[in-house]
Amino acid sequence: MTPRQRRSGLIATAVATVIFITPFVYIFLMAMKTKKEASRLLFSLPSEWQFWANLTEVIKARNYMLLLAYFNSTIITVGAVTLLIIFGAMVGYILQRRPSGWNKVIYGLVLVGLIVPPAVVPTIWVLQGLGLFKTIHGMILIQVAYGLAFSVLLFRSFIGTIPKDLDEAAIIDGARPWAIFFRVILPLLKPVTVTLIVVQSIAIFNDFTNPLYYLPGKENVTVQLTLFNFQTQFQSQYNLLFMNILLVTIAPLLVFVFFNRQIVAGMTSGGVKG
Amino acid sequence: MSGLTLSGVTKSFGAFQIIKGVDLTVAAGEFCVFVGPSGCGKSTLLRMIAGLEDVTDGQITIGGKDVTWADPSARGIAMVFQSYALYPHMTVRDNIGFGLSLAKMPKAQIAAKVGHAADLLQLTPLLDRKPKALSGGQRQRVAIGRAIVRDPAVFLFDEPLSNLDASLRAQMRLELTELHASLGATMIYVTHDQVEAMTMAHKIVVLNAGKIEQVGSPMDLYRNPATPFVAGFIGSPRMNLYTGAVAKAEGCATYGIRPEHLTLEPSGGKWRGTVRYIERLGPDAMIYAVVPGLGDISVRTGGEVALSPGDEIGITPQQGREHRFAG
Repeated sequence: MTPRQRRSGLIATAVATVIFITPFVYIFLMAMKTKKEASRLLFSLPSEWQFWANLTEVIKARNYMLLLAYFNSTIITVGAVTLLIIFGAMVGYILQRRPSGWNKVIYGLVLVGLIVPPAVVPTIWVLQGLGLFKTIHGMILIQVAYGLAFSVLLFRSFIGTIPKDLDEAAIIDGARPWAIFFRVILPLLKPVTVTLIVVQSIAIFNDFTNPLYYLPGKENVTVQLTLFNFQTQFQSQYNLLFMNILLVTIAPLLVFVFFNRQIVAGMTSGGVKG
Repeated sequence: MSGLTLSGVTKSFGAFQIIKGVDLTVAAGEFCVFVGPSGCGKSTLLRMIAGLEDVTDGQITIGGKDVTWADPSARGIAMVFQSYALYPHMTVRDNIGFGLSLAKMPKAQIAAKVGHAADLLQLTPLLDRKPKALSGGQRQRVAIGRAIVRDPAVFLFDEPLSNLDASLRAQMRLELTELHASLGATMIYVTHDQVEAMTMAHKIVVLNAGKIEQVGSPMDLYRNPATPFVAGFIGSPRMNLYTGAVAKAEGCATYGIRPEHLTLEPSGGKWRGTVRYIERLGPDAMIYAVVPGLGDISVRTGGEVALSPGDEIGITPQQGREHRFAG
């Protein structure tokens, strides 16, 4: 590395740090302030550190609503991501491997799913007709429907990098299609699966609009919706709001930090290394 | 141990016929090599025997049993792929034992069979490694081990040595021949490399454009090629083949003479030509010459021959070594 490269690298890192860290620092500082101080929305150190008081107040608010929200969001995220992985991998596998004319049509439909924006009102009609409106499992299915196209796309292209010889070797070894998929193909999809888990679980966990539309009801609250607890038309408790944001951001952040390396690997690598 | 027969086997993709009616018998315990240029259908034929491709018409029997429509795993075959097709996420042990575990064989029995195959192939110290930690030759042996534990009636090899470097290829040729001798199993081996065919086979099947050109032992095909195609394909360096006026003068449609069956003479000789280029290989040398009225000709001669490009030479074919093809 030449001195010039080092200097420009350091500057770039410093700029990136400021851009990415500043909002976090702001959230953190606001979450520590008293109500009165926070209402001024200044980027300043709190005169009085209110961490514990704010924390307990946020958690206790509306009869421990945040804990219920965490529970609901976790169920939706885990359920939806599990289904996305299983269905995405299966559909991607068949689309990639089976030499059928229908595959072009189906692949086209998958792409349509990626392009056409979902319409809220008809979706609610369908959910009501099926008796799934205002239910957690209805919400899970919605998230699966919205995420499946991307998931299929990613799996399909990844499976394309796995040589067909492996399938054929397994056939000769006496494997049925089910065994080929679960014992040979699926284990090789680990990099792309990790990528999908992270990308989708962050998106679903942090989803605000879809639970707002499709999952009304106090007992159905999800984490992003708890932010409404501290905002009203005439008054907002910014210290508690930011504490809530802090608590809601931690889980996805941890997932991202842990899997960061694998995400990059999954986006770029193929299935089988030489 | 059991043999294999193909009768009237054809294969079409749409309107295009790739395999145009193949009749073949491979005796039990025989090492049979399918050889031919790329695109001649040899791999397709092998995959049809394996059951990976459907047969359009005809019948395949293994050990006297009709397996034309049987599942690959029910045919009593095992296949070694060109890419080895080892499962990358499994250890060598699991790779070899995968078929057995699918067949729900007890664990102890699997371990015994895997251990036996590993012993045979000197893979025992590598059993806990993943394929990516193995060299090309070791991967090759794992692929063979996976075939051995299935106790197949017929082993199928699809260009198994083409990914190895030249010296390893020579070594693996030897190992495969020894393996065949020790197992005594029927083996069918596909290659485009006529050296592999000549060195390993009991029986060579020369395929061209989806049809069998000739079947025979290596030396049979070398001495008595039935068609110009076989003559040109079997034997290295390639036979000199001439058509047209030259062949007509010899009383045939195609006239052929192998480079090693030509004698150089400083003066006289059947043909007079000019040396264009010399390849010295050590023990022998290849001389490429131009003969007016005949064209290019290659001659194999002793390594120490004192010639250089531009020299004039006389070339005479050895008696009884010439090939005259009517077709």
